[in-house]
Amino acid sequence: MGTAITFRNPAIVTPKIAATTESPLVRRLLTGIAVIFLSLFLLLPLVMVFSSALAKGFAVYTASLREPDAWAAIRLTLLAAAIAVAANVVFGVAAAWAIGKFDFFGKSILITLIDLPFAVSPVVSGLIYVLLFGLQGVLGPWLAAHDIKIIFAVPGIVLATIFVTFPFVARELIPLIEAQGNEEEEAALTLGASGWQTFFRVTLPNLKWGLLYGVILCNARAMGEFGAVSVVSGHIRGRTNTMPLHIEILYNEYQFVPAFAVASLLALLALLTLFVKSGIEWRSRQQPAEMEAATAGKGPA
Amino acid sequence: MSIEAVGITKRFGQFAALHNVDLTIPSGELVALLGPSGSGKTTLLRIIAGLEFADQGTVRFNGSDITDQSARERRVGFVFQHYALFRHMTVFDNIAFGLRVRPRKLRPANSEIDRKVKDLLSLIQLENLSHRYPAQLSGGQRQRVALARALAVEPSVLLLDEPFGALDAKVRLELRRWLRQLHDEIHITSVFVTHDQEEALEVADRVVVMNEGRIEQVGSPDDVYNYPATPFVYRFLGNVNLFHGRIDEGQAYLHDAVDQVRGSRKGNTTVYVRPHWLEIRRQPNDQNHFRATITHINSAGPLVKVQAVSEWGSPVHIELSQERFRDLQLTRNEAVFVTPKEVKVFDGDPTA
Repeated sequence: MGTAITFRNPAIVTPKIAATTESPLVRRLLTGIAVIFLSLFLLLPLVMVFSSALAKGFAVYTASLREPDAWAAIRLTLLAAAIAVAANVVFGVAAAWAIGKFDFFGKSILITLIDLPFAVSPVVSGLIYVLLFGLQGVLGPWLAAHDIKIIFAVPGIVLATIFVTFPFVARELIPLIEAQGNEEEEAALTLGASGWQTFFRVTLPNLKWGLLYGVILCNARAMGEFGAVSVVSGHIRGRTNTMPLHIEILYNEYQFVPAFAVASLLALLALLTLFVKSGIEWRSRQQPAEMEAATAGKGPA
Repeated sequence: MSIEAVGITKRFGQFAALHNVDLTIPSGELVALLGPSGSGKTTLLRIIAGLEFADQGTVRFNGSDITDQSARERRVGFVFQHYALFRHMTVFDNIAFGLRVRPRKLRPANSEIDRKVKDLLSLIQLENLSHRYPAQLSGGQRQRVALARALAVEPSVLLLDEPFGALDAKVRLELRRWLRQLHDEIHITSVFVTHDQEEALEVADRVVVMNEGRIEQVGSPDDVYNYPATPFVYRFLGNVNLFHGRIDEGQAYLHDAVDQVRGSRKGNTTVYVRPHWLEIRRQPNDQNHFRATITHINSAGPLVKVQAVSEWGSPVHIELSQERFRDLQLTRNEAVFVTPKEVKVFDGDPTA
């Protein structure tokens, strides 16, 4: 047997005094304020959601989720989010590509339009659809004549969700595409790649982390949306209620445990989203070289 | 494959990048497009590649008109200043890209692609780095990969846009000599853009000097350096001193140094003198000299660079050998005599 050798890691030494460091008192005070604030306004409510949901035991908790109306709300939320995310990925990539790569007339108008859902209150977004597709709306009589239901039906919910989640993917990709420039695409072109080959083999792989990030934000918002969906939904139980709407109804009926049970699902989803998001951020920090390569193309022409 | 560009004109908005440019590049040559930034050299290269399209004019490869063909159809190898390697692919995949994107019928078998990429890797001497990503390579290695990637598709011509521009001086020198050797082996018609006159003169068979969207001169490195066609070429290819001189009976005078001038123009003109054609003396040399005061001496390098102010108050740059410098033992603020040994006068130069 050989001699056992223990390696001792040298203590990581951080410089004690940096130019911009404040005194320990100030640092502790600021950290303390932040921690207290976060605990009070974020952590405590989160704990409350789960503790209320499980207040009457795990059996009651699962039963409230398996209840048909709750289950329908979960499915509708997932459906609306899936369609909204898919639609916004296609739109977002196309719009970001157009804005990032080309100069065209009306470009700034397009950028402004993409931001519109951020600026407009969700309730107003919902109302826009009611005014368009509702019975008294512009297209209402035509839709009624053809027996197409949009408002107070699933299509309306999907449309409203798409509207409010419009900017997420595009906004995430535009700066990325602008930073990457055209050179790799030009290289692919001179090597004989077609437009589609260039897009799928060169452009898209370079955007994957940004795209994933956009999808996660888009999905989180799609599942959590209340205002816009509330206006167009009509709150028909088991048919047009999404999870947030269902929670509100249950809560208003004093059914606290089921309300918090469904709410806990949304909260879990939010936690998962945050987890994946930090995972992506961590992953892209692990590749500083890749990041460096991303900025290397911006030298003097 | 020969390249012909005829009557190429290109504007970017208000800026005219190329004015009616004609250029013929014979098959198998290595040609440098040399000029300052904004001279249109990169635009001309990109028009030849099909990455940019001329407003007017024709581009021909081997005599056939390809003006309207896309970059994809032209089968050119293009090397970018900033490499433009696919950053999410390994070195191997980068080089194989051009072969893998071919339509199924024209695509070589995987084993064939494998063999070809390995050949190219050994050509660029990076066999053991084939699984690295571009970000893990040095600048010089990246540019060699970019070159291998361009060569993989067996292009008809090789076009390089400031291929050494982003590298540090030493790597730059190695890589350009390597490019010259490579060209001597594979004889592919190659055009490279550069703003570095040393690079152009050392590497190219033929140098095309460009300025403000026009071609100033086309010729061998010896031609353009020793027989510059225009003042611009003379000034761009090396340091130069400008003097007011005088033309009389077919001869130009800067004091007594003489350059033959065709025609019988008379009067004042601009006289060009390279710094190494100015000789510093301690004693006057008949009439052929002027007085100057040394203001700065830089003796680091093969030549000693002396800055001086002439007797009429304009700055003068002089270069002399280390040996001569030691003999003279020059110091700052010293008054000396300067003799031009060779001067250059241009016919069309406006008399000043």
